[in-house]
Amino acid sequence: MSWFAAILLPQFSLQAALRWHEEAWLQPIAILEGDTEKGRVLEMTEPAERSGVWRGMVPTQALARCPALRLVQRSHAQEEVVSALLLETTGALSPFIEATAEGLCAADLRQIKTRDWEQWAGAAVERFATRELRAQIGVASNPDLAALAARHAKPTLIVQHPEAFLAGVALSEVDSSPDLIAVLHDWGIHHLGELARLPRSELSERLGPAAGALWEQAAGRAQRELRLVRPPEVFWEACDFEHPIETTEPLLFILRRQLEQLTLRLDEAYRVAAQMTLTILLEPGPSHVAAGPDRYERIFTVPSPTGDAEVLFRILHTHLESLQLAQQPIGVRLRIEPVVADRSQFQLFESPLRDPNRFGETLGRLAALVGTENVGVVQLEDTHQPDRFQLATPDFQKLAESQKAGPSESRTLGLPLRRFRPPFPAHVRFQRHVPIWFSSPKAQGEVIDAAGPYRASGQWWDHHAWSIEEWDIELSGGALYRISRCRGSCFLEGCYDA
Amino acid sequence: MPSPANIISLAAIRETLAAHFPEAIPLPVRHWATGWAEIDALEGGVPHNAVTELCGPAACGGFFLHQVLASLQERRELAALVDGGHSFDPGSHDAGAFSRLLTVFCKTAEQSVKVTDLLLRDGNLPLVLLDLQMVPLRGLGRIPSSTWHRFQRLVERSGTALVVMTPQPIVEAARLRITLRAGWSLAALKRPRRELFEHIQAQVYRRGKQVTPMEELHSRIA
Repeated sequence: MSWFAAILLPQFSLQAALRWHEEAWLQPIAILEGDTEKGRVLEMTEPAERSGVWRGMVPTQALARCPALRLVQRSHAQEEVVSALLLETTGALSPFIEATAEGLCAADLRQIKTRDWEQWAGAAVERFATRELRAQIGVASNPDLAALAARHAKPTLIVQHPEAFLAGVALSEVDSSPDLIAVLHDWGIHHLGELARLPRSELSERLGPAAGALWEQAAGRAQRELRLVRPPEVFWEACDFEHPIETTEPLLFILRRQLEQLTLRLDEAYRVAAQMTLTILLEPGPSHVAAGPDRYERIFTVPSPTGDAEVLFRILHTHLESLQLAQQPIGVRLRIEPVVADRSQFQLFESPLRDPNRFGETLGRLAALVGTENVGVVQLEDTHQPDRFQLATPDFQKLAESQKAGPSESRTLGLPLRRFRPPFPAHVRFQRHVPIWFSSPKAQGEVIDAAGPYRASGQWWDHHAWSIEEWDIELSGGALYRISRCRGSCFLEGCYDA
Repeated sequence: MPSPANIISLAAIRETLAAHFPEAIPLPVRHWATGWAEIDALEGGVPHNAVTELCGPAACGGFFLHQVLASLQERRELAALVDGGHSFDPGSHDAGAFSRLLTVFCKTAEQSVKVTDLLLRDGNLPLVLLDLQMVPLRGLGRIPSSTWHRFQRLVERSGTALVVMTPQPIVEAARLRITLRAGWSLAALKRPRRELFEHIQAQVYRRGKQVTPMEELHSRIA
């Protein structure tokens, strides 16, 4: 005998919306389909239901029944996350799974060795609970029967005797033609047990093949193959806020919980996080102001891929500490790109970073303090123009593997220059293109010796054309400086020794 | 002959003291060899777990940086340069070691101190150079002396070698102070840099007292 399990997330939309707010289940809350004014109540919490709020009510009716009712918009992004999570978690229970309906999955249990289905289902419910999901699980001899059992499960139900279970199931619970159900109600048949007592062939003759299929279901004999799907290996979480938030604390709180969930899932998939994409949805600005971007997005590369939620959180925290947004956040998305954990040993003659993630965090703090353009490793630009370079993000881990060690043969000449940035404007008196007197806010005096001019120019073919003349000068006091002339103006570029 | 049970060995006392007062037991001193013969001959280089102050004119600081870059490339090490005066000129140095040097340009002395503090707390880089030679003296005067003591405690914990390059002595907590002096003319700009090192006079002071190579030799023998 083959066994199937159906995993149902009851009140699917409500679960998705309140996933990060357990305390909200104790309050009267209703999920609305559509916008607040024209929408209708889709699902509601138990306190709201006790107050007389029903599915299909318009907001005014619902609020008249329960003045304390909180109306929450349906969050499609969060439902998408929960759907993926349902498939992923069911996929960890069995390799043969079906996405039956919204919030409902079926699994073929033929490869499960245990026959203690009560214990198996209990463990599965626990597994869903670690993902902050409330699951109901039904186990039966066919998928449709298992789905019916899941609806009646508290939170698990194993159907050992289908006839006894189906006898008490109402016809309205079965997914069938409403006309057919109406006819059967007219006949005085309200439960599947009553239907199963009718002769199948006569029923099919009178009401058609749909009635025959319904009878098979009522008798617990409906067999069908699962439409198998592969669970997506997507690690992302979403949360839409009920109101725009004003401080970073709620955002950090949600991000920490999301990271805890994501790292738990990564751990079970034997993966670690290599990259995080943080998306913050922003409140639309007032209509009279030019619309700004509706979201803020930032990609974080994890220097040393890890599954440690604390390390990943610190990376986000460091960035958010100094982040200033023009509009208030109304939602947050966090996506993780997984990689297989890299097990590498420190090499004997290498000196890579002791803690690359901590270093990445420090780089973030330094960038926040002095600006991104002022931190990094120097990369000279491919030009002869003086003082042209950029600071690039260091990648010391890869550097340790790629570069060969060895003594460097220095071919540099003279004294190292110290630059003034920006250069000081200067007055220079020339005699036959040789500076003889010099004055600037930094130094002034008679020039006793000078070397130059050293002329350079470039990019004459476009509007970035540049041309410069430079001299190295020695003043009467012994100080050595570099001066330049560009477009008729003179500058003090730097000093060698002062 | 076995020692009586009621006699505690000296080693046991030392172990107990080290367990209770870890900061009182000095760590084994390691040094970052600079490749500058005059400095390395005295101390073996720049000490880790300690603050070193390098005083002298801007050109001498540039020479020290040149040596550090060469040693980074040779030893495949990493270091950070905190440039308080935004004066570091990459064009004056070999570009080979730039990928091993984290460079941070700061606008003020106060910002340089904050950046150095972050790098020392991070503890990933074995050498941090804080270049304050081109910072105006007024800005240097605003750095409280407690900063250097804090840095000393941080490097003791992380094992980082911190070298503070200054125009004149300001770092009270420096375990080692190296004073560099030289006089240059314009002709020096056309000579190979390795020849110019011979003209720099280095004086090394340990806790305020000048150390000469002979004294160092005697102290090591003792």
